[in-house]
Amino acid sequence: MTTGDWACSASGLVKRFGDRRVVDGIDIAVPRGAIYGVLGPNGAGKTTTLRMMLGIIEPDGGTRQLLDAEHPRDASDRVGYLPEERGLYPAMKAREAIAFMGALRGLDWRTGRRRAGVLLERAGLGHAADSKIRKLSKGMAQLVQLLGAVVHEPDLLVLDEPFSGLDPVNQERLEALITGERDRGATVIFSTHVMAHAERLCDRLAIIAGGKRRFEGTVDDARGTLPARVHYVPHHVGAGLAAVLPPDARADGDGWRFQLPAEGIEQLLVRLIQAGHGISGLSIERPGLHEAFVRIVGRDALEAAA
Amino acid sequence: MSDTSRNRLRRSIRQTLTIARRDFIATVFTPIFLLFLFAPMIFGVIGGTVGGMSAASMAGGGDRSRIVAIVAADQARTVADADRRLRAVFRDSQEPPPLTTLSPAANPAAQARAAFSAKDYDAAAVLYGPLDRPTILFGGRSDRTADYLATMAAETLAAERLGGRMPAVAATKTRFVPPHPAAGPSNRPNPSAFFAVFGIFFLTLFLSGQVVGTMAEERSNKVVEVLAAAVPLESVFLGKLLGMFGVAILFVGFWGTVVGNLGLLLPGDMGRELASITPAVGAAPFSLLFAAYFTTAYLLLGSVFLGVGAQASTMREIQLLSLPITFVQMSMFGLAAAAAGRPGSWIASMAEVFPLSSPFAMAGRAANRAELWPHVAAIAWQLLWVAVFITVGARLFRRGVLQSGSARPWWRRRRVA
Repeated sequence: MTTGDWACSASGLVKRFGDRRVVDGIDIAVPRGAIYGVLGPNGAGKTTTLRMMLGIIEPDGGTRQLLDAEHPRDASDRVGYLPEERGLYPAMKAREAIAFMGALRGLDWRTGRRRAGVLLERAGLGHAADSKIRKLSKGMAQLVQLLGAVVHEPDLLVLDEPFSGLDPVNQERLEALITGERDRGATVIFSTHVMAHAERLCDRLAIIAGGKRRFEGTVDDARGTLPARVHYVPHHVGAGLAAVLPPDARADGDGWRFQLPAEGIEQLLVRLIQAGHGISGLSIERPGLHEAFVRIVGRDALEAAA
Repeated sequence: MSDTSRNRLRRSIRQTLTIARRDFIATVFTPIFLLFLFAPMIFGVIGGTVGGMSAASMAGGGDRSRIVAIVAADQARTVADADRRLRAVFRDSQEPPPLTTLSPAANPAAQARAAFSAKDYDAAAVLYGPLDRPTILFGGRSDRTADYLATMAAETLAAERLGGRMPAVAATKTRFVPPHPAAGPSNRPNPSAFFAVFGIFFLTLFLSGQVVGTMAEERSNKVVEVLAAAVPLESVFLGKLLGMFGVAILFVGFWGTVVGNLGLLLPGDMGRELASITPAVGAAPFSLLFAAYFTTAYLLLGSVFLGVGAQASTMREIQLLSLPITFVQMSMFGLAAAAAGRPGSWIASMAEVFPLSSPFAMAGRAANRAELWPHVAAIAWQLLWVAVFITVGARLFRRGVLQSGSARPWWRRRRVA
């Protein structure tokens, strides 16, 4: 891929807060038109990385490029951003708040108000268009802020922990909004530590822990870092069964669990049938993103972040 | 200017005005703003009512203060005439108490002392004895009143020597405005200079201090992250400053219109004093310069207060800042007032150059000296410092609050690229 194929990229980003290197040489490249997840435990450096890529704070080292601009500030009108710490003016009406966020990014107020009305209707918040933010529930206010991040139809949408604080219905709405933005042609980056959203949405993802990037690739690539697991239930349990199964096989209820052999399952099945154990049940389970995440980040790092 | 620079400038202006518009509307369209706007009227009415009640109370009791002259009955009329002539010199508030004449008793000294215990008046001073060598008793702070009685005695004697009447004088009184020196600076202070300094100080005293807490709103409701992501902090700071300046202009414009149309609202002799202002640069340029220096004074003080206030994280810290803010304003006023009283001195030059006192001192200079070019340079100098203060404030905020280093300036970015 060439530089122009990336919506944004960063190389060797470093950020120190005091003596602590909260971001320690992170490389990220987000393809245009993709939904890109930035995953990591609490305190991994996700938010700091995103803030540096957007130009909110300056890195202590490394380079970054945002929508072909050498400095993120020069592309800020083409970016939408939902920060981790939500913030709106409590006395503003929902429609005005959305239009204001659009105006900050170069959208004229009239268009901003018109689009705000449409977006609020679409999000099921049409009734709250002229309500002040302070009168909305936390989840509703969060949706309003999210709509403010997309009202100017940005080329790049950056969402920091967008699902936190939303009920399941609104989480579903948000997922639809994210895929809708991707379908419109925007690139979407979001950070999360909830694997289910990332697994459903992300075209690619980066896993960050301890300020370093531990993984970059597709969800399948991440899951592929762990071997598949086999769950085998014999038809006849005989004395020699354990000897036929791989050394890591462990009894689990009426069956056995073991790692998928490197050469595949076929030869093992032949041996089991020949030995007369038969096959009453067989499933090959690919590991989920959650398991891959735990393995990549390390259980110790997760416990330290908890 | 290249297209990129032009676009960058256009975008900065748009972002700044977006922030300014939000702050202006958020401030003006609130019930509290009405309290702010009408505060002078509300407190004026309250003050007037209380003052009126006090005056009514005093009037009800009557103004009992008197000056007393113990003089022979044949002199009483001449004394009263002298009192009337002398009294015409005084303004109402400076007039001595009304005169009461008494015929001398057997012991005028005892009579004079007894006058201080009279039931139907309060004697401020009492004169007795021959008019060429009178004895005057006075109480409390009435030494000026005693002087007045002495002068009245002399006036009475003079009238008696002229046959009971002073010569009539038919004077023609015409107000004369001395022309300004055509060339060459004068080191004599123009009274207008103090008006200019005080006027700008008065307007900025209450208004610019309000800027100090404006960033607290963004910090408390966490909007600052949204703003910082979309807009350079310099534009956020300048936008907030301009928004509050818009509020100040609305306030000043409203009250300027009210006072301009209802001259009666001007206290005391202020209307007459304002009419007598004769600035060296001329009335029209002076008005423009006054407006310009009010603007730069507001922006200079406001940018400093905004930058300092942005570092405060709680309302308590912001409240603590009010004392140093008032101190800074008073210091700048004191420096500029001293400069206005000594045009051409080193202190005047210092006040004109020091950024925070420069608008006040230069307004004073406009009253004292006729040259216009120093004002062009001064306004440019002051605006430069507004930019410096905003840049420094934004950088401190970026480092202290957002915990970031400062962005590399665009001109350095370009060189590296």
